[in-house]
Amino acid sequence: MKAKSWITICLSMSLLLMFSAPVLAQGVIKIGGVYPLSGNIASTGLDCKRGVDLAVDIINGKYGKDLDLPMAKTGGLPNLGGAKLEVVYADTKGEPKNGMSETERLITQEKVVAIIGAYQSSVTKTASQATERLKVPYVCSDSSSPTLTERNFKYFFRVSPHDAIFARDWFQFLKDVEKKTGKKIATVAILYENTEFGSNVGKYARKYAEEFGYKVVADISYAANATDVTSEVGNLIKSKPDVLMHASYITDAILFTKTFKEMGFAPKGILTMAGYIEPGYLPAVKADGSNIIVRSTFALDLGKKKPLVTKVSQLFKKKYGIDMSENAARSFMAPFVLADAFNRAKSTNSEAVVKALLETNIPGSQVIYPWKGIKFDPQSHQNIYAQGGLVQVQNQQYVTVWPFASAAKDVVWPFPGWKGRK
Amino acid sequence: MKNLSPKTITVGLVVLALLLIFPMVVTQIFPLQIMILVFMYAMLGVAWNIMGGYAGMFSFGQAAFFGIGAYTSSFLLMTFHVNPWIGLIAGGVVAALVAAAIGYPCSNLRGHYFAIASIAFAEIVRVHFNNWTLMNAAEGISLPMLDESFVNFMFHTSKVPYYYIMLAFLILALIVCYFVATSKMGYYFRAIKESHDVAEVLGVNVVRYRLVAIMISAFLSAMAGTFYAQYVLYIDPESVMLLAISVQIVLLSMLGGAGSVMGPVIGAAVLIPIAEVTRVWLGHRGTGVDMLIYGFLITIISVYQPQGVWGLLSRIGNRIK
Amino acid sequence: MPEQLLQQIVNGLLIGFMYSLIAIGLTLIWGVMNIVNFAHGEFLMIGMFTSFWLFTMYGLDPLFSIPICFLLLFLMGMFIYRFIVSKVMKGPMLAQLVVTFGIGIFLSNLAVYLWTPDFRLIPPTILQGTWEFGELNLSIPKTVASIGSIITSLCLFLFLRKSKTGKAILATEMDREAALLMGINTERINSLSFGIGAALVGVAGAFLSTYYYIYPQVGGLFGLIAFSIVALGGFGSIEGAFIAGILVGLAQTLGGFFFDPAYKYAIVFMIYLITIWIRPQGLLGW
Repeated sequence: MKAKSWITICLSMSLLLMFSAPVLAQGVIKIGGVYPLSGNIASTGLDCKRGVDLAVDIINGKYGKDLDLPMAKTGGLPNLGGAKLEVVYADTKGEPKNGMSETERLITQEKVVAIIGAYQSSVTKTASQATERLKVPYVCSDSSSPTLTERNFKYFFRVSPHDAIFARDWFQFLKDVEKKTGKKIATVAILYENTEFGSNVGKYARKYAEEFGYKVVADISYAANATDVTSEVGNLIKSKPDVLMHASYITDAILFTKTFKEMGFAPKGILTMAGYIEPGYLPAVKADGSNIIVRSTFALDLGKKKPLVTKVSQLFKKKYGIDMSENAARSFMAPFVLADAFNRAKSTNSEAVVKALLETNIPGSQVIYPWKGIKFDPQSHQNIYAQGGLVQVQNQQYVTVWPFASAAKDVVWPFPGWKGRK
Repeated sequence: MKNLSPKTITVGLVVLALLLIFPMVVTQIFPLQIMILVFMYAMLGVAWNIMGGYAGMFSFGQAAFFGIGAYTSSFLLMTFHVNPWIGLIAGGVVAALVAAAIGYPCSNLRGHYFAIASIAFAEIVRVHFNNWTLMNAAEGISLPMLDESFVNFMFHTSKVPYYYIMLAFLILALIVCYFVATSKMGYYFRAIKESHDVAEVLGVNVVRYRLVAIMISAFLSAMAGTFYAQYVLYIDPESVMLLAISVQIVLLSMLGGAGSVMGPVIGAAVLIPIAEVTRVWLGHRGTGVDMLIYGFLITIISVYQPQGVWGLLSRIGNRIK
Repeated sequence: MPEQLLQQIVNGLLIGFMYSLIAIGLTLIWGVMNIVNFAHGEFLMIGMFTSFWLFTMYGLDPLFSIPICFLLLFLMGMFIYRFIVSKVMKGPMLAQLVVTFGIGIFLSNLAVYLWTPDFRLIPPTILQGTWEFGELNLSIPKTVASIGSIITSLCLFLFLRKSKTGKAILATEMDREAALLMGINTERINSLSFGIGAALVGVAGAFLSTYYYIYPQVGGLFGLIAFSIVALGGFGSIEGAFIAGILVGLAQTLGGFFFDPAYKYAIVFMIYLITIWIRPQGLLGW
């Protein structure tokens, strides 16, 4: 009994003493990067982290002065005595609870002055609630749930477009394609995985279908980890839609692509999101991915019209040995927005930074996406210039096909079917 | 269980005192977060223990009760602006009723069949919430931000109030568990655990007592669920109803020592800090090493120390005595 | 419309046969030593990865890697039984339930550690494409996997009924004490059954890898469904698990087709709950 008592007391004591104080560095501005770095979608989180790391290297002047990006020419933040940026990463495992606790830990213990990241919208929700409570700015460029900027938070800013914009793009594209080909499109099927992301897309797709005058003939939600999706595809075939709109993660994107082919489901167009543009998708399905159209904020071929994109993607390839993916490219921009704000605010004080963020006006030439720039809406703090685009898989590459004005190649329309692929 | 010896009471009070001064000594947030999680999982473990450790129903579906608690209070708060403390009780009642409704048909299931039925039940609940528009379906519920106060069960600047509230919940659960374990009901539970049939022959109303155990367990789990919702301020089926949570609860109870009042608390105090600290130190490398160690630990402990850490402590204690 | 119905029934059967193959290994282990192997899904994952690496490194078609998967998983199963599971057999029931969870968590994260959490797919092999019969599309890899499932189950069935070892396994399953008295080395039977159970799911993994993506957590839902199938079919009943697998495949597909696909796994679990409520020992259990 005695020993048990002592062990119990020692256990409690050791918990008290387990933790030590953090060390502060001089001349360095620390920001927190919250990403799913382990667990089911760790590969996506690591991809985002690559984009952020490259951005920070550029800001700190590692790659010289010929890049037209904020801070690249000066190397460090000139108004803050040339201070360098440093990212302290935290792993969320993709769980909202960790999004909150890691954000709080980074701010109070690691003394970061701003937060970026989270990727999954549900995690961004709790992480941004934490920054709101602790009054620290949060610049997000990789979560796409429309609800995030509907909350009108004071400290939360979003650079990238959200799913409602993307869903609207699908329909705008249909209108444009109708005009281009002169052929009517009447019906659409909406297919979405049933977590936060998919069901939000479903909601907005239904809304815009009505607005744009298309009939929804199938409205199907499913579990993303399904073992088999033949009943879903069976329902799609039965409803005979002109166009399929699909919001998915990567696993279900792979499974659906294979099942579409197997059951011969070939509508006039397949418009998709997220999962279809993950770096793992094309290597997994190979030629079966051809002609599928995906929403995107980034494609390597943007470089044809924007040399900056080529420069950045070459740096990326040199640093990591792989092509810059859409995820990496989306996460890439947030550190620049923050660095720019710190520099103009001449301080890392939250209120000053928020004020500077509200005055952000980064020109389109300094952005690696086909946008007019970055400027936040004073109410919602959504970047008003953020817009999507559509890419299509052609010859195992994602090529920009819409908006037609910035298209690198012509869109293949209608979808040519599954026969004759290897 | 014997009456508490003076020594046990002394140790208990010392530990309690240490826990009470903990937030005053340690001001960093990370240890506080870990302790809050430890208390929460300890409470879930204690709740599981009443049903699994004492009455022998190995539930792998506790996340359903946890989630129902979280959803009930959050839904009431979001839609009808019901105070979370009332929501807390409401959540417990709803969970206990659901537990009774599902527990009744399952009341003659034994062993593995019960374990799998509990998984099936929890999965059905999760899928349903994921598609239930009234509950915001998969989008989840973001709790409205109320002013910081005890009455509102919401604190924005400090974790310390959450710490004390969760500690109080845990102590409440422990008291309930202690009374269950030492009362006549506790003997019936153990009789049922030892042998269903023998208990029945001895005149124990097996179905009734099993239902009571399930309902108490569900009520306490739901309380922890409401706490989670008030603490994180956002819930969705993916974060409060996942099988992984149920499994975690069973693992830590087993690790600490099922069937003893303090077992799950010890289990939580060992497992949760390991999980959190390894995630923070190793997790960002994205290699899965933290979970690797975790799985290894579970395996080793079930092989070499199936009575849990508490069993080990007791044995060492006895040997020295 | 009738064509789609026929198509759905066929698809239900195709996935059902796959479930059966995954479940019979589980039911064997369950029946013989009264242990639920919660690491079964992870065994499946190991089988799939084995098949994937044999293809990637040696260009071996998944169809030919089946014997290797069988052997490898057999050895792995024996090893795990010998050094881990046998040690908890006499321990408390909870330890028996939990130990395989630990093994499962360990294996899936070992896979993350060794092979990263990325998704992989074996590119078109000799088993690719679809047979078309009018409106009916029949996936070749799925059909072959189904035939493989039937053959494998038949082999297991014959092995258990005809061979001496098989009869010893069955005897142990029915009455351990009596088997022990009859001079059967039940410890050996245990490890053999665990090995065979793992080997069978290894075969399932090889077949599944011809058309399903592979990643460390792939076993999760398959494992979960397999537990319900086994419990539905009845403790340790090979025939029961086989039939239950097909029923679950059909229920899932037709349920998803006629009702709501979002609920299709809930339907499966619901059927399980209702069945055990009416018949707690499962369909063919005793």
